[in-house]
Amino acid sequence: MKTSLKMMKNQLKTSEGRETVFLRLYQQCFPDVAKYIHKRGGSLEDTQDVFQDSLVIYYEQVHAGKDIQQEKAYLFAVAKYLWFKRYKTQQEECPMDNLEAMEAMEAVEEYDKAEEGTAFQLWPFLQQAGQKCMQILKSFYYDRLSMEELADRFGYRSTRSATVQKYKCLEKVRDQIKEKALTYEDFVR
Amino acid sequence: MRTSLDEIRVLEQYIFHQQAPEERLLIEAKAHLDKELAMKVQRQQRAYLLIQNYGREQLKAEIAHVQDQLFTQSKYRRFKEMIVNLFSPKS
Repeated sequence: MKTSLKMMKNQLKTSEGRETVFLRLYQQCFPDVAKYIHKRGGSLEDTQDVFQDSLVIYYEQVHAGKDIQQEKAYLFAVAKYLWFKRYKTQQEECPMDNLEAMEAMEAVEEYDKAEEGTAFQLWPFLQQAGQKCMQILKSFYYDRLSMEELADRFGYRSTRSATVQKYKCLEKVRDQIKEKALTYEDFVR
Repeated sequence: MRTSLDEIRVLEQYIFHQQAPEERLLIEAKAHLDKELAMKVQRQQRAYLLIQNYGREQLKAEIAHVQDQLFTQSKYRRFKEMIVNLFSPKS
């Protein structure tokens, strides 16, 4: 992995670091996406929605281990595909003329698949699991912190106690799912 | 680690395909015979989905905060003007 990508991956592990990266990416990439969407009749709001999701996809792909060298081109390809998928009619197809476009399409489809399981009505119940538990689980499974980083951030003396706590939190969430007897339908909007 | 947590750990390895094929087969066989275990696997998968969605929502809030800064703070005035001009109707 190139040093710059590794450095950025580390930067993305804290909220301050993420703010810096997102500010930079907005300034570097948003204007091109805005021009593209504007030319095709989209509004500023459409652009903002598309760009926000593009950044989430970018973040998730980087954490999933994708080696993105050309971040600007990648973000643009994702935004372009998202724009076509969400706002254009089916007659118009997004040009799939290069590898980046294909990769962007895959990433967007993956993202949308997980989005289908979004469970907004579950937030109150998740809050019951405890804010700290949810933060621990998010840091490990979503932000992909290592056990060492997790122990350090949440003040555990060893990775072993952090691991035990992580599983306890997971058990809590799983038990609450059981308690609420959640069916698949509860997970879809 | 207590037994129930150990079970969570094993099921996690199963869900994320981190086991050897024979261990995987063993879980599948057990889950076939034990409906409660099968339900646990299903609920644990849902728990991961919930965590992912929770993470996404939090990340989106952070991104929205960044966007808000760019469109409201005076130090980013030039950026804002450039974008707003692009979308304003030409006179």
